[in-house]
Formats: sequence, C-alpha cells, structure tokens
Amino acid sequence: MASNPMQQFTVKRIGPEINIAGVDLSFTNASLFMVISATVIILFLFLGSKEKKIIPNKLQLIAEMSYTFVAKMISDTAGSKARPYFPFIFSLFMFVLFCNMVGMLPYSFTVTSHIIVTLIMALFIFIAVTIIGFIKHGFKYLSIFVPSGVPAVLLPLITVIEIISYLSRPVSLSVRLFANMMAGHTMLKVFGGFVVSLGILGGWLPLSFSVALTGLEILVAFLQAYVFAILTCIYLNDALNLHH
Amino acid sequence: MKSFLSLSIASVAINTELYAAEAGMPQLDPTYWASQAFWLILVFTILYISISKFYLPKIKDNLDNRENKIKEDLENANKFKEESEAKLKEYDLILENAKKEVLKIHFESKSALDKDIQSKKESMEKEIEKEILKAQKEISELKKNSISSIQIISGSIVSNIIENISGDKLNESSIKATVEDVSKKNLNKFL
Repeated sequence: MASNPMQQFTVKRIGPEINIAGVDLSFTNASLFMVISATVIILFLFLGSKEKKIIPNKLQLIAEMSYTFVAKMISDTAGSKARPYFPFIFSLFMFVLFCNMVGMLPYSFTVTSHIIVTLIMALFIFIAVTIIGFIKHGFKYLSIFVPSGVPAVLLPLITVIEIISYLSRPVSLSVRLFANMMAGHTMLKVFGGFVVSLGILGGWLPLSFSVALTGLEILVAFLQAYVFAILTCIYLNDALNLHH
Repeated sequence: MKSFLSLSIASVAINTELYAAEAGMPQLDPTYWASQAFWLILVFTILYISISKFYLPKIKDNLDNRENKIKEDLENANKFKEESEAKLKEYDLILENAKKEVLKIHFESKSALDKDIQSKKESMEKEIEKEILKAQKEISELKKNSISSIQIISGSIVSNIIENISGDKLNESSIKATVEDVSKKNLNKFL
C-alpha cells in the first residue's frame, strides 16, 4: 500500500503516447475512469429503458427516478424555459455522480478530484450560460450586475461586487467539487494508513473512522453532484429569467 | 491508551516523512492537463449525445406511456362506475315498478276474490232461503196431512177398540166427531 495519501491522484499514462501537434493527449488512468463512468451510465440507462413496462423493475425504476429527479430540479429552479437544457443537466449530473461513485471503489481513480476536469466543466457552463444570457436578452443581460432597489450611493460598490461574484462562479463551482472529492479521498487514505501502521492492536479506532468516513464520502459524492447540477440550474435561471 | 497515542503520533511522524518525499498535489502537475481536457470533452460529448438522442426520449416515452395508461384506466374506471350507477338506478326503478305492480295485482285479485265470494254468498243465501221456504211448506203440508190422517187412524182404532170391547158397532160419524173433538183439545200439545 502506498502510504502517500496524495499518490492516489497521480495521473499515469496507459498504452502508447498520443502526441498531436506537440500536445500530449495520451490515454491515462483518468481517461480510463471517465470512460468507465460513462460506460456504466450508458449501461444503466440502457438496461433501465430496455423494457417498457407499466410496472417497472428495479433498474427501470431507478432510471425513471433519476429522470424525474433531475426534471423536477430543473423545473423548480429554472422554470419551464430551461426545458431544452434538460439533457445537458441530466448528463452533467449523471457524469459527476458516477465519477464520484466509481471513485469510491477501492483502487479506482476519482476523475472529479482533479481541478482541471472540474474547471473545464465549470468554465463550459459559465461561458455557455453567459452566451445564452446575451442571446436571450442582448445587452440588457448586463443588468444582472445592477440589482434593483439599491441606493444610488452603494450602486458602484454593489456592481463591482456583483461582477466579481459573477466572474468567480466557475472558480467556486469547480473548486467546490474538486476540493470536496480530494479532501474526502485524502482523509480516507490517511485513516487507512493509520490502520496499517497501528496494526491489530491500535488499528481498530482508525478503522471504525474509515468505515464512518466511507459512508460520509458516499453521501458527499451524491451531494456534490447534486450541488454541481443545481448550481448550473441556478446560473441558467439567471440567464433565462432576467430579474432580481 | 498512552501507548496507543504514542503509536499514532509515531505513525503520523513516519507518514509525514514519507509525504515529504513526494511533495505537492498531482492535480497541479500540468503534464496531463491537455490529455484530461481532451478525454473529458470527448467522453462527455459522446455521453451527452447518446443520452439526449437515445435514452432520455426512451425514458420519457415510457413515463408518458405510463401516465397515459393510468389516465386511461382512471377514465375507464370512472366510466364503469357511472355505468354501474346508472344500472343500479335502472334496477331500483324496475324493482319499484315491480313492487307497485305486485301491489296492484294484489289489490285486483283481492277485490275480484271479494266480489266472487260476495256473489257466491248471495246466490247461496238465495238458494238456502228457497230451500228453507220449500222445507217449511213441506212441513206445514205434512202437519196438515198428519192431523187428518191421525184423525182417520185414531177414528178407526177407536171404533175397533169399542167393537172389540163392547162388541157394538158405533156410529162412525159420532166416533169421528169425538176423535176430532179430543184431537182438537190434545193435538196442540204435540204440534
């Protein structure tokens, strides 16, 4: 067992080196677990929608529940205008959730514990939401930075704060997921290391902590996927329904 | 407890020494950033397309189907309920009519029977009266006849008795007068 709790996050190349225009695009363990997560999602949805039963079996029920769960989340936070973005939010939620969950398996790799992965997703959402806002409202979209009902004296200050908070959205969105996943897995690894180093006499305490932490991490894995998806919905809502 | 604490502190010390060997977070090593970005975009695009084109419409279809089926079934259930209620009303109506008819028939037959009984009674009474009258007539006739015949018989008996006792033959008319006289006196006792 590697005792460095950060070693689990190391990215290693698998197979041949792929070099396109001087950029290393090799298939890595991170890529492998992205593919595994996506495959598990597709397999789950395939099996869940294969049989069109009036009374669903368990897998079909779970697939339909996740559908209605995300659909309800979108309609609650962003309203009916967000309907066209449902497939994207659903894919995003499922991808983050399954990456987190697959990462909970021993010896696996957590894709979402890498800042670059979460940052790319967050940046894509940020840019897409901004573009959608400008397409729907034109330059009026800039009024998102000027909240109504603020005294004129405070307006310049508030506007600056609003702009900063808007621009920090991708950072907060990506760092929240990345930091949660990294911290959780590091903690698990550290406690796992304690179990090994304390042996059969003293290892029981950190072992019980490890068990409890595993439960907590599974909760966090779901919660962070949910938070990621619902924040995307909220940003989308800001772009679609422009009012303060 | 003390040994446990010292052991854990020692292990932390050992571990931190090992961490120092490989410093920093692998996440901040930019070697594979491009690769991760590339594979993320590739995998997510494929996932997005397959989900939005195949699986979500399928699941939506299925959910809609179920909803429609439930709606249809509920409608059918309501229809059947209404039908059964109408049938029940019809049945009640039929039952009521039947009851009314039964009462009517009952009354009719009762009155017919009453009439029949009345007429039969009347005719019977008439017949009985006739019979009684006839019988009375017969009785009165018999009475009359019996008186005269009793007189004749008693007359002849008296004459016979007198003849046998005295050996004389008395005048028939005197005997007859005496018998009539006696019988007039005594017959009232018997008749």
